Amino acid sequence: MGVVTRKKLFSTVALCAIVVSLFLPIVMALPSPATGEEAPVAEGAPKEGEKVEKARDVYYKTEGIVVGAPAPKTTDSPTDYPRYNFESRVLIWFANQQHLYYGSFVLAVPIFCMIIEFMGVMTKDKALAKRYDQLAYDFIKISLTAYSLTAILGGILIFTFLTLYPTFFAYLSSIFRPVMHIYALMFVAESGTLYIYYYGWDKMKEGFLKWIHLSMSVILNVIGTLLMFLANSWIGFMMSPAGVDEQGRYLGNIWHVIHTALWNPLNLHRILGNMAFGGGVVAAYAAYKFLAAKTDEERAHYDWMGYIAMALGVAFLIPLPFAGYWLMREVYAYRQQMGITLMGGLLAWLFIIQATMIGILFLSTNYYLWQALGRMRGAERFQRYIKYLVFLMACGFMVFITPHTMVMTPAELKAMGGQQHPVLGNYGVMSAKNGGINVIIVTTVLSFVWYMRGNKVPTVSWARFGNIFMGVFFACAYINIIFLAIYGYYIPANVRVGLSVPQVASTLSCLFFMFALNSLMMKGAKQLGPIEWGKISARSQYALIMLATAFTWMMGLMGYIRSSVRLFWHVNEIMRDNSPWAYTHTVGFAANVISANVLFFWISILFVFWLGSLTAKKAPVEAKVGVPGAIPQPAGSH
Amino acid sequence: MKALMSLGALVGVVGLLLLAGMVFDIIPSTTVRLVEGYMPMQMLFEVGCFVLGFTGLSYMLNAVGMGIPRFWQGIGFWVFFLLYIKYRIYPPIPFSVRAMYGTVALVAVLMWLSSNEEDWKKFKQPILNVLDAQTGFNKFLRYVYLVALPILTWGFSYNAMMPKSEEPIELRTVHPAPPASTKVHGKTYVLQTALNPYRVNPEGKYDQEYTNSLIVEQGMGRLMKPNANPWDENATGYLKYVREGGEIFFQNCHFCHGDNLNGRGLHAFAFNPIPANFTDPGTIAQLQETFIFWRVAKGGMGLPNEGFPWASVMPPWEQHLTVDEMWKVILFEYWHTGYYPRTWD
Repeated sequence: MGVVTRKKLFSTVALCAIVVSLFLPIVMALPSPATGEEAPVAEGAPKEGEKVEKARDVYYKTEGIVVGAPAPKTTDSPTDYPRYNFESRVLIWFANQQHLYYGSFVLAVPIFCMIIEFMGVMTKDKALAKRYDQLAYDFIKISLTAYSLTAILGGILIFTFLTLYPTFFAYLSSIFRPVMHIYALMFVAESGTLYIYYYGWDKMKEGFLKWIHLSMSVILNVIGTLLMFLANSWIGFMMSPAGVDEQGRYLGNIWHVIHTALWNPLNLHRILGNMAFGGGVVAAYAAYKFLAAKTDEERAHYDWMGYIAMALGVAFLIPLPFAGYWLMREVYAYRQQMGITLMGGLLAWLFIIQATMIGILFLSTNYYLWQALGRMRGAERFQRYIKYLVFLMACGFMVFITPHTMVMTPAELKAMGGQQHPVLGNYGVMSAKNGGINVIIVTTVLSFVWYMRGNKVPTVSWARFGNIFMGVFFACAYINIIFLAIYGYYIPANVRVGLSVPQVASTLSCLFFMFALNSLMMKGAKQLGPIEWGKISARSQYALIMLATAFTWMMGLMGYIRSSVRLFWHVNEIMRDNSPWAYTHTVGFAANVISANVLFFWISILFVFWLGSLTAKKAPVEAKVGVPGAIPQPAGSH
Repeated sequence: MKALMSLGALVGVVGLLLLAGMVFDIIPSTTVRLVEGYMPMQMLFEVGCFVLGFTGLSYMLNAVGMGIPRFWQGIGFWVFFLLYIKYRIYPPIPFSVRAMYGTVALVAVLMWLSSNEEDWKKFKQPILNVLDAQTGFNKFLRYVYLVALPILTWGFSYNAMMPKSEEPIELRTVHPAPPASTKVHGKTYVLQTALNPYRVNPEGKYDQEYTNSLIVEQGMGRLMKPNANPWDENATGYLKYVREGGEIFFQNCHFCHGDNLNGRGLHAFAFNPIPANFTDPGTIAQLQETFIFWRVAKGGMGLPNEGFPWASVMPPWEQHLTVDEMWKVILFEYWHTGYYPRTWD
């Protein structure tokens, strides 16, 4: 048997083993191993002859046999809430947030790797394929150290729960017992796959083995996504419990416990959020390396890397507000008071801060793209129109951040003549805000289209028609979005909610159709000049760093909002939080803790980047002028 | 093109003159009226017109060799915007919101001025000139800044640190979150599921679609639908309940909430804030009917902690009205304003 055949055989067996291990959780989920009983009787379930007690599911309203203990009624005592001489909630907040940051990063980056590696495999240009492959490898290298840190932080989180909230954690573990070990086993599968994927990169770089390698990245991401879904089911249960009765007793159906009212919206929102966040962090890494680069070649490589990471991150950022909108809609539908607490009541101002952060994300993205036009010869023709895009974005941004609950003195309130300002009050409602954010997103799409056209002129015979069609399409999208935003003032709220669908449809149509059309028009386009990778302003790189920081801050903020909306409940309406910290922090305090979390994350990730750079071999570099239009050579190799 | 730009320049000049008049209190802000019901769009439209006007003005000034440097264009536009939101918009915008808008405008101006290298250089040049101080005037300016900047910083710090006797700002929660359920006259109502018993069709069944079809028409005037007059003696069912609700409203509520339900009743201006304006799309239009029921029943005194600073003098109407009467009043409020209660279907 030849060496290559042996390798193929080994790879196939490894792949099969990983796939088989994926089925392990299903086996574990079967009643016997999960509960430790020989017979398929759930733990705590009545034995033969005993009276069966039935109860109604709080969410699904189905009847089930009571198999769990009621949710404990805690008291402010060392038994339920042991503590250090510090606020336990802040400690758990910190541990949780750091684990989430790293968890998001290590879940997102392998997805990028999969996409980029696939692009490399599919690209016919061998040099370009190699560069994509190198980029994917650079990405996974960054995430590898972060992966260990994620596991360590996960351990710290569990220990924090066990030491500071033992009663609550015991209850949560009792509810999720059937899947707790599945979660742990999937972590083992994830780690194994990741290490084989990383360390097997060079061994499996060509032909059939490359496809095996690529398949492993798919498996890696499937495991990662399932892991996240399981973790999401815990927070979903805490916000919108299901599968238990009013006393919190488990009714034997683990699917009901997992599949709560908010589970699916949370899953979607977190996948997109993680991807956008991961893109932002890698882009910031590239920006940092760009700014610190000593040679033109390095600058060119990290400029290119930053662009790819930013583009991937933004591709997931664009649909993120829609996923968030769906989540909020489901929250309102689940509990009116929860929705109002979030968006109209106690936490409303945090949502204004969130809107501001979303606006900053899009502004940074657009600013980067406008700066990127500067490295293309021939793109100058677009630059004079940027001011109009700035105007559109600023208008959309201002509408988007206008608060419904305004901060004012009593004198200002009196001068205004009522709680609602007749001019600005309407910007505070969802109709206008949907209009604002959609205008921002369509403008971002337009900026991308300009970027794609930067140094090219279409040569297809229907170019003139195509340009007019694109112009009209964008104009119609703007008109439709703005018209519906205005129309929304005059119709009932429930109908107004429905208007978001055509608004989003306009935005997504621009995104998909205009990108597709533009790509068609750019086939065989005439090049006005090269893309001079590395010749981009330093301001653009600060925009990338801003983008990543805003992502990080926003994740911290939204995590806090999502958690605080439970107010004084550990598990909403089931298990009350009777600790001394069951109150809502002030906006200022919350903002400070979020900032501290962000700062700690960035300091620690810089350490991770530094560790990653230690493994890189120093390749001999020579400063040379980039080939016009060519993708830059990687600065280092593995 | 030139004619278009001339027109733009004219618009820009007229707009600037009007704004200057408003800033110096020569002409009132209401000279160009903000049309009720269309104010938000009018504001954006006006700002858009100004931008086009300034484009025209800049073009024309460049054409006659009197172009304004980029630096001053940026500063000028930002100052214009701050003045516009302070002096043009009425009623006055609270400072917190103006600060937010001003910051966004500043960021937008900086983005515009640094969007390409050429503009960025033009913008930076006056600053660099002062720092380099190659001419006497720039040297003088540099000394002025050297003295003025610390004084300004000191002034801002002093102002920020000095104890003040100003009234504190209030983060008033307009719609505090309701409880999951509320007990009124001995009966518990679950707010997520409770229904108005008078929102019924001719068969006596709860029917939101039917009742929605009979509310007054929205728009500048509120017109009753044909054959949907609650004050018709023969009105039955839903319309009869609306009339009964209306009678209760005019006996109890209109003194504060006004006969047009716009929060401007006889006693309204004795309170701060004035009572809720039901015709505003930000009040009852975006709330479930049960939320209104809870607020009416419990009044200002029943506001939760979240309702800080509890600036509501509405009495707890459960002490004065029956449950049926409260539901009927709510029915009337939605009918009269032409809004539907919020639902999630």
